[in-house]
Amino acid sequence: MANFWKLVQNENMKIYRRMRTWVMLGIVVLIPIVVTVAFLLLSDSKDANNWEMMQLETTILFSLITIFTVVVAADSVAGEFSTGTIKLLLIRPWSRSSILLSKFIALVLFSVLLSVVCFVLTWGVNTLVFGFSSDTSGLIPANSPLAGQSPWTYMGLDYLYEWIELIVIVAFAFMLSSAFRSSGLAIGLSIFLLFAGSMITGLLSVTNKPWVKYVLFSNLDLTAYLNGGNPVPNFKTTVGFSLSVLAVYFIVFNIVSWTIFRRRDVAA
Amino acid sequence: MSQVPVARLQDVTKRIGSRTIIDRVSLEIYPGEVFGFLGPNGSGKTTTIRMMVGLMAMTSGDISIGGHSVRTHYPQAAAQVGAIVENPEMYKYLTGYQNLLHYARMNASITRERIDEVVKLVGLSGRIHDKVKKYSLGMRQRLGVAQAVMHRPKLLILDEPTNGLDPAGIRELRDYLRQLAQEEGTAVFVSSHLLSEMELMCDRVAILQKGQIIDIRSIRGQAASAQQQAEEALFDVDRPEAALGVLQGQGGGRIVDGLLELTADRNEIAEVNRRLVEAGIRVYGIRTKTKSLEDQFLEVTGSETIG
Repeated sequence: MANFWKLVQNENMKIYRRMRTWVMLGIVVLIPIVVTVAFLLLSDSKDANNWEMMQLETTILFSLITIFTVVVAADSVAGEFSTGTIKLLLIRPWSRSSILLSKFIALVLFSVLLSVVCFVLTWGVNTLVFGFSSDTSGLIPANSPLAGQSPWTYMGLDYLYEWIELIVIVAFAFMLSSAFRSSGLAIGLSIFLLFAGSMITGLLSVTNKPWVKYVLFSNLDLTAYLNGGNPVPNFKTTVGFSLSVLAVYFIVFNIVSWTIFRRRDVAA
Repeated sequence: MSQVPVARLQDVTKRIGSRTIIDRVSLEIYPGEVFGFLGPNGSGKTTTIRMMVGLMAMTSGDISIGGHSVRTHYPQAAAQVGAIVENPEMYKYLTGYQNLLHYARMNASITRERIDEVVKLVGLSGRIHDKVKKYSLGMRQRLGVAQAVMHRPKLLILDEPTNGLDPAGIRELRDYLRQLAQEEGTAVFVSSHLLSEMELMCDRVAILQKGQIIDIRSIRGQAASAQQQAEEALFDVDRPEAALGVLQGQGGGRIVDGLLELTADRNEIAEVNRRLVEAGIRVYGIRTKTKSLEDQFLEVTGSETIG
């Protein structure tokens, strides 16, 4: 038997040999440049704090990165079914579990790549244009648990939390991908839930039912903790609590994907 | 054949809901034989193949390949199998070569040299670095064959392999499959509804109808025994009535569509010919009406519609 890494290599090939992936990467590269240039052209002051600009651009970019990874995730399994390539993929001397795992690992690597590109560019472009600032008063609010810490720590945690949110949503898209034969349906449904999620959180925040804090969407916005708040303001949850809830959802989504994928009859 | 079978299907049954799609199918496939799997559309050929390659689970029964059960030791069983299930669907955004590389990576035994060798074998050398979306159906079929034989499987499973191939391609494939079976001892399992194709290609055929095997017969053996058997012979002569008179009813001679038809074995045919010529009748041609597999197939399956 060949080694498992080769399966991941295959999945990577199927991601990076596609035009759409390079369009996505191109957009992730362009946005920080465009936003900074637009700021220079439109703002009167022509000066800004590099950290604050970085955070602003990161917030914009991460919702895009999430959509991009969701598209790739939703297409990952369902796409193989809709094109029929799943048949030639599954008749190899590998268990279905290994093949599914290799797909998920390739997705994680893709999301890490996009996040790293995002970090490097948003930091690089803004530091180049506005210079390196040591003033963090505009970046870290006074009531933040990280008040007084370095901007590196703050931005580092910001990225980590954004990425955890992303990977939970990706696990959800991946689950839909294993459940549906059509990649269009899997992509559409995942993105709908991604947007519906913030509306659901808004609706939930007006109730006081105790189960609300266990709902996925009440825990997704981890970055709220960085600024001394909560994802849903009227529930005083902690980071540890939200991380545990997300971990449970993450595991459940993956167990469902795995169960469906392993048992499914391939008749397409 | 006293050899150990490469593949053994034992009472394989597939039920979906209350419908029994495949009903207790049992067969054995031996090294070096080309085994045909015949059946009308909807008889369950593809479902059986899907179960053999692990794409579908069986309801009961078992399939073992090279002694490994597809149910319990799938990777070990799959390592011995190369297959095309229905159309060879490839990644269209990759080149032919990248597609092969993809499958090669999943099997430790395949080297880059082996990929090149197989590409040459299926005659795709000139176009292998083109994207698959630019390939014709015939070229995709060739690429499908390449991915199926790359790792030198002990069992090669091809579902309707001649789909989309031109006559030259079909002939090439047929020769190649026979060569694989004879020289490398590969067991080749081919499904088709094209009876004449199967007749030329296979050593044995199983006939499947409504999910049940209704007959397994040897084809080559039959062709050999047919030489001794009496069969229908057609004589193309200038004066059929006169010829009939000459023969005086031998072999139940009769005139069909202006041709003289009678039942005779090889020696008798030669004898009839001699007598006709001696009587001054001009013989333009003689041919025998071998019962084709198609006739036999229709005989066995009846003229029933898809069930």
